[in-house]
Amino acid sequence: MRLSRLASRAPAPVFGAIGPGWQVAVERLLARSGLRRALTPRDAGILLVAGDMPGDAAEALGRVHDQLPHPRATLRWTVSHETADAVADRIVASWRDLGAIDEADLLPDQPPNEWKGVGPHGQGGKGMMGGTPYGRPMAMTGEDIRDGLQLDRYTARIGPFAPMLPPGLVLEVTLQGDVIVAATVQHPPFAQPVDADAPELCAARMLTILGLDGPARRAIHGRRPGGIWVRGAVPRGLGGIEGAGDARDRLAAFLGGDRAAVTAPDLSELLPGLEWSEAMLVMASLPPSAILRAARLPEAA
Amino acid sequence: MQTLIILLGWTVLAWLLVRATQPPADATAPQSAPFLGGGTTGTHAWQRYHFRPYTMTLVFIAFEMEMMFMYPWAVVFVSEGIKALAEMGMFLAILSVGILYGWREGVFRWE
Repeated sequence: MRLSRLASRAPAPVFGAIGPGWQVAVERLLARSGLRRALTPRDAGILLVAGDMPGDAAEALGRVHDQLPHPRATLRWTVSHETADAVADRIVASWRDLGAIDEADLLPDQPPNEWKGVGPHGQGGKGMMGGTPYGRPMAMTGEDIRDGLQLDRYTARIGPFAPMLPPGLVLEVTLQGDVIVAATVQHPPFAQPVDADAPELCAARMLTILGLDGPARRAIHGRRPGGIWVRGAVPRGLGGIEGAGDARDRLAAFLGGDRAAVTAPDLSELLPGLEWSEAMLVMASLPPSAILRAARLPEAA
Repeated sequence: MQTLIILLGWTVLAWLLVRATQPPADATAPQSAPFLGGGTTGTHAWQRYHFRPYTMTLVFIAFEMEMMFMYPWAVVFVSEGIKALAEMGMFLAILSVGILYGWREGVFRWE
């Protein structure tokens, strides 16, 4: 009892599921003192659902909700005239008596795919290859783009509530180890207000990916982020785009308070060849409006 | 007998500690799914990947083994004389094959 009271005094860990138009409000809200932005639901106690979620995101939202550990609480922030102060108070109040709230799973307690395998481990194929255990195919080999070794390719759909990508964006990535070999946009990000491109928010997103939470928080508050030569943490020549420099140049521009005008890049050409962490840094170095335009490119073509 | 009792005692204590501290394995199916920001996986998670630091490990072991052998060798070098020198030459020749292989794999290239 005393332990849980002690724990409730820590900053409330909040995972933000951001809907259309709410990115700026949520990013500014979670930079307040007393709140902490959790980068995975497993680290969070409170799920903040901001904005009206489109119907096709409901299932993904259910998945994210069920991944929060018990005890957990869901708060909705859908009325734009409810001030950030009021929401912050609601979050802290729920965090204080989280033990009394707890919520059950939204999705049924069934594995996502049925068991279909044969053999002792359900592999169903020959040796270590092939088969569909639990209804999912095993990763099959393909040529490594670095040295041509035959290595397994793993495919997953990331989003729409991945904290390192713009809200709403669903990327289907194929990975070999941690190197992206293919990336396609399955769903474009939600439209956001023009403020989402504000340099301090863009800089904060990059700093969060770099693991610099303190400087990111200071940047959102409009102060100098501090830290010595922060842009040195971004490798030179990463994610270069015609006319907009590389990711390091863009971070320097954001820190200097410039709105970077970035032409929409082709994501399926920009990301392959990068390691996962580099790719997420490149994505964070693009203003949300540029990613939105880039995601709509294939539709236009 | 005493040693056996101590060993058994520690084993039982360690086992009890593990039992007491491990979280209960009662996660539901949606909770135990990987976190992909609400997304789903297309393929099974079992996959093979290239363990890239292996060349670095190779070079480390080559130089470390060399030093492990050189210390006792240095103690007896004066009394053994030319025989010890020849033995060390053979040993270094074998180890250098590993280093040459690492060189071919590009371990000395600065990245």
